[in-house]
Amino acid sequence: MSQDVFKIQGLNLWYDDFQALKGIDMFIKQNEVTALIGPSGCGKSTFLRCLNRMNDLIDDVKIDGQVVYHNQHIYQKNYDVINLRTKVGMVFQKPNPFPMSIYDNVAYGPRCQGLKNKEQLNEIVESSLKKAALWKEVKDRLKESAMELSGGQQQRLCIARAIAMEPEVILMDEPTSALDPIATLKIEELINDLKENYAIVIVTHSMQQAARISDKTAFFLMGELIEFGDTDFIFSTPKHEQTENYITGRFG
Amino acid sequence: MTNRTHFDQELESLKLSLIQMGDLVIKNIHLSLKSFLDMDSDLAESLIKADKEVNDSEYAIEKECMRIILREQPVARDLRLITSILKMITDLERIGDHAVDISKLTIFMEKSNEPFHVKEINHMVEVSEKMIKMALESFVNHDLDLAEKVIEKDDIVDKDFYTIRGLVADAIRESHIDADYAIYLMMVAKYLERIGDHAVNLAEWVIFSILGKHVSD
Repeated sequence: MSQDVFKIQGLNLWYDDFQALKGIDMFIKQNEVTALIGPSGCGKSTFLRCLNRMNDLIDDVKIDGQVVYHNQHIYQKNYDVINLRTKVGMVFQKPNPFPMSIYDNVAYGPRCQGLKNKEQLNEIVESSLKKAALWKEVKDRLKESAMELSGGQQQRLCIARAIAMEPEVILMDEPTSALDPIATLKIEELINDLKENYAIVIVTHSMQQAARISDKTAFFLMGELIEFGDTDFIFSTPKHEQTENYITGRFG
Repeated sequence: MTNRTHFDQELESLKLSLIQMGDLVIKNIHLSLKSFLDMDSDLAESLIKADKEVNDSEYAIEKECMRIILREQPVARDLRLITSILKMITDLERIGDHAVDISKLTIFMEKSNEPFHVKEINHMVEVSEKMIKMALESFVNHDLDLAEKVIEKDDIVDKDFYTIRGLVADAIRESHIDADYAIYLMMVAKYLERIGDHAVNLAEWVIFSILGKHVSD
């Protein structure tokens, strides 16, 4: 049975006076893909950002409750946030490669951590690009600018960049919404492969995508977690009428 | 309020098609038994031809279900509804085939065969027709209780079957029945018993569409 990587208990979050998350209880398991679904503004991306403390970068955010990563509450005083963000990587909706070479994009994180040995860097770059299913397409042009890649390739480069830091969890905020259907399918195939080694949490607006690729699905609505469970059950026999109305498209 | 008016209309249309197929099949069973009891081979011939309409309905509904699955990507209750319809049309088509089987027996029978009347045969048709109607009604109205009543009624059909078997066996022993007619009568009774079983299947798929699990789970 997969272990819990994250345990979230009674999580509340406010943007100033506005409560964006209300009493969230759930868990994220190793080697599983957890999809977060719900209408716009329901709190899914806010919740995702709680897992690597990216909300710290937003003014007037207040949090209470517990987000426990490997038995440690990540919001406790003096918690090593830099290390957290190494172990809990993130990929965003719009591919955001750095304006440098393909090689340097992937090597950037390890170099920031002080790694200078060329052979080790080469190994990390190759391994990360292979795991992101991009190596074959770029191995002969690693020195070329990442900006020359297609959208789908750029997104896979961003995934390789996250993988280079040897994370345990990869957070993905609508990773395919800016991509064409073929690129989307390639990313979905990649996610299926990646879960063998990582826990993946993905925000998606596509119900079909959530049904295709996730093991667990969490349905958020107006800051609340309405239902959380195995994807097969959520999409065949959801317990809550609100969940059923949303996933069947009846919800306005 | 729904965002999927067009999809909802497609589902309503599909349900209506299922009901119409059910009505057709019920009519055919009713007339097939009439053809047998009246030894009306003309009626029997027309019923065999009429089965094409049942088969065409099955094919049309199946095609529509596949199209909806492709285009609308249904989930949850919508997916359960469509998969239940796909299974139910198979049972309705099989019921239609049994009406044909009974009609064929009517044609095989010779007018010289002496009929042997058992009221239970009429009762079997009456109950199995009612079971099909109740199953379809439970489907339209999402009525779990009614679907469960259909399953209970199958005991009545089975009981009638065994009563007929006993009566026919006694009549054979006492030479009160034409041998050929005895065989035909038992075959008809068996087809009606199978129709009852198919009606139970219909009800079980209704239960699945409501609860998301099969009665055997």
